[in-house]
Amino acid sequence: MKVSEAMIRDVSTIFEDETIEDFIVFCLRQNKSGLPVVDEEFRVVGFLSESDIIKSALPSYFSLLQSASFIPDTHQFVIRLGKIKDDQVSQHMVKPPVLIKPDDTVIYAADLLIKNGLKIMPVVDDEGKLMGIVNRIYLIHAATQGKIDR
Amino acid sequence: MNVLTVTLNPALDREIVVENFRINEFHRVKNPSYSAMDPGGKGINVSVILSGLGIRNVAVGFLGGNIGKVVEERMRMISDLITTGFVHVEEETRENIAIVDPLGDTITEINSSGPLIKPDDLRMFLRRFEVTLSRVRHVVISGSIPRGVDNDIYKTLCKKVTDTGKLAFVEGIGPAFEMAVEAGVVTVARPDLRSRKLIFGESLVDLNDYVNAAKTIIEKGSKLAILSYATEGDVIATQDGVWLFKTRGHIDRSHLLGTGDAFMAGVVHSMIENERDCFLAAKRGMSAAVAEAEYIRKELISLKDIDEHIDSFDIRELE
Repeated sequence: MKVSEAMIRDVSTIFEDETIEDFIVFCLRQNKSGLPVVDEEFRVVGFLSESDIIKSALPSYFSLLQSASFIPDTHQFVIRLGKIKDDQVSQHMVKPPVLIKPDDTVIYAADLLIKNGLKIMPVVDDEGKLMGIVNRIYLIHAATQGKIDR
Repeated sequence: MNVLTVTLNPALDREIVVENFRINEFHRVKNPSYSAMDPGGKGINVSVILSGLGIRNVAVGFLGGNIGKVVEERMRMISDLITTGFVHVEEETRENIAIVDPLGDTITEINSSGPLIKPDDLRMFLRRFEVTLSRVRHVVISGSIPRGVDNDIYKTLCKKVTDTGKLAFVEGIGPAFEMAVEAGVVTVARPDLRSRKLIFGESLVDLNDYVNAAKTIIEKGSKLAILSYATEGDVIATQDGVWLFKTRGHIDRSHLLGTGDAFMAGVVHSMIENERDCFLAAKRGMSAAVAEAEYIRKELISLKDIDEHIDSFDIRELE
């Protein structure tokens, strides 16, 4: 089964110079956890997820802690979130993004999602322009339907 | 992607078939298939019909709330050839309710007004429109203008389209439609005369009024004008003349749903193949509309349907 058969053909996106607050509003309204970031040619140049926002607002030593309960002051986290809301998306996005093409297999897409700990992955054409997305639940659904090996 | 369709005020179309429908009476829908829910709004309808004709397209505009999510999801379920790229707004997308009575030969339509579009939403839409425009050749802009959007929006969008040498197909009514036509930035213009038969301040009463209105649209710079005339006819004007297309048999009003959008989709499909032949495009548009009129509900017509109906209406040269 190819990615083209399992992808969601939606090109909702955010631009590099739009703000974190714009991103949050977009995700809230569309019930999404992340969005592809594109340039003026519609090429995908990054990916921004809610996890990236949380990481940006946490102290840099958080990754060394075993549990969030070790964060000395959660209030600081909220203050940092307030400080980054006007930042540009490009300051917090993951780049280069993990991308897939419509002719790739769904097995390969699942492999990339699992290995990179992603929920959503942009699907691009040969010029790197956004065509849609694949997400975990669609791939899990395809697997339970026995379509993945087809 | 071949075509970009713009629906600024989409809707969830609820179509209910009720035999002998009467106001102020209790009705029960007899058959589950007589109560349908489809993505709607004129641009979206064209997207759906184009997908049935094998044309890959991207639909943009504004959606909001849970109804907006249903519209988007259902569009993508209809065909892999449809890509969505809507800006989501705070308020809920509207619902259009149509009560179709095949026995009484009536359609009763109730359309709600839709969400308020805020300046930030519009700014984000315009940027995404421009970027998406670079990926297509033809743009269909169709339907009503939501609250919060100025009447110059069609003109603004069409200018961006024609400035890049692409074709703008517009269906609408009122100041927004007229401003775009008067600016000479509309390639194919089809006034939506369902709610009022009035254009450029002139009421359309007899055939001569329709002919004059069609000629005015061409004089303003459009290549093709299409005006629905009576139930079974269309006045067509190009730079070469004016014609009346008329179906041979009677078409029940209950079968008219979606025929205008099928007309536009037929025109777009034809002009993708042959950009310059506007008369042929009008013929194929009419053929698509006649094919669509065979169904009581909005159905996906095929290219075969268009080919089969190409001679099923009369053409009379008026000027």
